[in-house]
Amino acid sequence: MSADVRDILDIERANTPEITRDSFLATKKRNFERTKHASRRPEGMHREVFALLYTDKKDAPPLLPTDTALGIGAGYKQNKARLGMKKVRKWEWAPFSNPARNDAAVFHHWKRVSDDSTDYPFAKFNKQLEIPSYTMTEYNAHLRNNIQHWSKVQTDHLFDLARRFDLRFIVMADRWNRQQHGTKTVEELKERYYEVIALLAKAKNQSIEKKTFVYDAEHERRRKEQLEKLFKRTTQQVEEEQMLINEMKKIEARKKERERKTQDLQKLISQADQQNEHAANTPSTRKYEKKLHKKKVHHTPRPSKVDSVVNAIEIGSSGIKFADLRGSGVSLRSQKMKLPANIGQRKVKALEQAIQEFKVDPAPPPTEDICTSFNELRSDMVLLCELRTALSTCIYEMESLKHQYEAACPGKTLNIPPSLVPIKTETLENSAT
Amino acid sequence: MTEFNAEAGGRLKGVTIVKPIVYGNIARSFGKKREEDGHTHQWKVYLKPYYNEDMSIYVKKVHFKLHESYANPNRIVVKPPYEITETGWGEFEVVIKIYFNDQSERPVTCYHILKLFQSPVVDGELTSSSTTMDTKKGLVSESYEEIVFQEPTQIMQHYLMLSEQSANGLLNHDTDFEEKKSKTLDNIVNVKQKVKSEIVTLKDKLKLARETIVKFKAELAKVQKPPA
Repeated sequence: MSADVRDILDIERANTPEITRDSFLATKKRNFERTKHASRRPEGMHREVFALLYTDKKDAPPLLPTDTALGIGAGYKQNKARLGMKKVRKWEWAPFSNPARNDAAVFHHWKRVSDDSTDYPFAKFNKQLEIPSYTMTEYNAHLRNNIQHWSKVQTDHLFDLARRFDLRFIVMADRWNRQQHGTKTVEELKERYYEVIALLAKAKNQSIEKKTFVYDAEHERRRKEQLEKLFKRTTQQVEEEQMLINEMKKIEARKKERERKTQDLQKLISQADQQNEHAANTPSTRKYEKKLHKKKVHHTPRPSKVDSVVNAIEIGSSGIKFADLRGSGVSLRSQKMKLPANIGQRKVKALEQAIQEFKVDPAPPPTEDICTSFNELRSDMVLLCELRTALSTCIYEMESLKHQYEAACPGKTLNIPPSLVPIKTETLENSAT
Repeated sequence: MTEFNAEAGGRLKGVTIVKPIVYGNIARSFGKKREEDGHTHQWKVYLKPYYNEDMSIYVKKVHFKLHESYANPNRIVVKPPYEITETGWGEFEVVIKIYFNDQSERPVTCYHILKLFQSPVVDGELTSSSTTMDTKKGLVSESYEEIVFQEPTQIMQHYLMLSEQSANGLLNHDTDFEEKKSKTLDNIVNVKQKVKSEIVTLKDKLKLARETIVKFKAELAKVQKPPA
């Protein structure tokens, strides 16, 4: 093959093959043999074909058969079709009778001589249905009275048709003798047929062995009616229906979204409520200061905003609400003493200071009693801190009013109650530490 | 004894079992800096029951998480004594995670600051864990804690009861927690009383202050009106 490539690329063929250690050790004898064979291309043989037979090193040709000569897919490799090795079996034109026919008609067909079986092979497909019959007395006893007013003649005709057409009710309805027995629909035929079957089975006590079928003619009629209506819709109606379905989907989607939104809103409201509770209980000092600031700017005597703080404090709702670690599971008792996350940094700081001030262990051994009283204590401490700030702002306001008064009418002054004066400095000191 | 309630995930309604524990560390100084690694102390961090009972009946394992500079900082101890002995030169937070024999009870986590050095005692200051200096043992820093089993599973309750039965008096602790408990509680009650009384006086003062403000405002309004 490489010779081919060299040919194509017009490269001069090397006179001596490359010498590797292996090729060298493969003795000169081989080389000698090869030269002796003088694999020269016979005249008339195509170069490519020759290259397949002899390569430079006389190794296996690069092309390998992908399938074996005797394999399954070996068709093209065989020069002769492998036909049956047996002798040809004879066929004969033979008569046969179909057991499904009762007129004993004889037909002919081709058939192997070797096939001995005389039965017509397709006879087994001739299934015969067992259509029950009834006698005159049976009819009179059980079948005479029926709601649909079938006469005996009509019933006989029905069963005759049933036998003839093997219960193919569509055909039976088609072949129904309308002139004699009036028009009957498929449903009516079925209804009467199964009614009779059931009644006969009941009369003969066969119900145990054979399954009785109940035919719900009314349901079937309605079903067909519906199908009929569905089939007879006009294009306009179909479009309208599609449009309505789409509208409904839209409405439902909107409804869902609205529900989701209301849920979100409710969540927000309940959250806000909780926060408000906290805010109402312990109004932040910043808010309070802001109000105070506003008041100072306006200089108008207004009911003090401290009132709201004091009111909240007086109600006794101030303090910390500690998380209630109810519910099941394991926890550490010290978790009960953890400050809730919604407490502001400012409050936490004030609390720390108060704890230090009163020399309390900030993390006492967490027994149940200690946890409870420690939490109560800290709640009280928060209240205390708030009261202190409220008082100091009150005193500040008082002072400023006093100065205003002194400025308004010199020489006169207002007296701050003595019990409030020394406390002021103390509280300021405390809150400064 | 409450009835077993399958609806509550096999938990015993209304049952609460408390297991007091003690965790902490002891540390002893080498007296000098060790040459090869600069370590100065040998320490042992531990978790033990408050009462003398077999914790392994209800505890599956205890996971001590040391500082990351230690070789394999996650140490797991499956049977008592739950303790890790190491050497080192620095203090850090040890995370102690306790796993229970019933998988449906979630593990609980304690945090302990490994103490090597005696902090200067500030007058009357109380630290979170009790630190005592023992001449024999060295520095001891330990905390009292209670594991609260709220509505434990039936199997967990069984384990806890077994452990309770194995209890045999008090374990000797380096810290007298009973004393500490009662002292702390007394202190808290006292302080609470103080705080409460201060709240009362503050409320009175606040009331007075508000009344004074109203009065001042009225006065001020009187003075300010004529010129207007």
